[in-house]
Amino acid sequence: MQSIQLFELASKQAEWLSIRQQVVSTNIANANTPKFRAQDVTPFQSVLESSYTPMARTNAAHFAGDTLGGDKIEVKDEEVNNEIGVQESGNTVAVANELSKSGEIKRQYDLNTQLVKAFHNMMLTALGK
Amino acid sequence: MDPLSAALKISGSGMEAEATRLRVVSENIANSRTTGDTPGADPYRRKTITFSNELDRASGAKMVNVKKIGVDKGNFIEEHDPSSPAADANGMVKLPNVNMLVEMADLREANRSYEANLQSIRQSRDLISATIDLLKG
Repeated sequence: MQSIQLFELASKQAEWLSIRQQVVSTNIANANTPKFRAQDVTPFQSVLESSYTPMARTNAAHFAGDTLGGDKIEVKDEEVNNEIGVQESGNTVAVANELSKSGEIKRQYDLNTQLVKAFHNMMLTALGK
Repeated sequence: MDPLSAALKISGSGMEAEATRLRVVSENIANSRTTGDTPGADPYRRKTITFSNELDRASGAKMVNVKKIGVDKGNFIEEHDPSSPAADANGMVKLPNVNMLVEMADLREANRSYEANLQSIRQSRDLISATIDLLKG
């Protein structure tokens, strides 16, 4: 079932994008907080690559492992932006950077939901609806 | 808590902190010529604000809050104005240690940060709407 795989992938990416949106919001909100270090999530690519082969289930009652990546979405301190560097207050947030990241998130999320919608319509077409 | 709702809360806390900062700046500007009313009395002292980062345990989100509203310990400005009720024996009046240029810069920065938070709320809301729109088929 390829299409089921697609829905799982899409929902994983939506989850990753939501977490990234939360991290970007945190950075923007803390742009004036002394000693705050800007953060970012691990790239989606590495989240996917961290996926592991699930263990075989010999009984239907066994728990199924996630097939696509575990809960490997990590939030870490972002590399210090060279142009802005560490401010006098010990803060490393570059608001312009955060806003550009935020635009990227919006674009990817829109693409994600549009694709899911298209595939959903295809499945409905297959059902003759 | 789902990340998008947490993002809304975080941006909200950021806006509240910036709004408090705007209030402090307004107080400073409004009181920039407030002197004492007895001879040699101290005038209004400039207020300062600092933010800190606080972990909200319920959602695991890093919220912003106002750590402290303090006072600027800088020296007062002295002016010669013998007719003022606050003038001392030499006719000198102490004026608040408020520098209008500094306050205006602070005002602009608080304004920009508020707008950035607002933009971030708008975006989180759009993402939630896009998700709900999936149900429309």
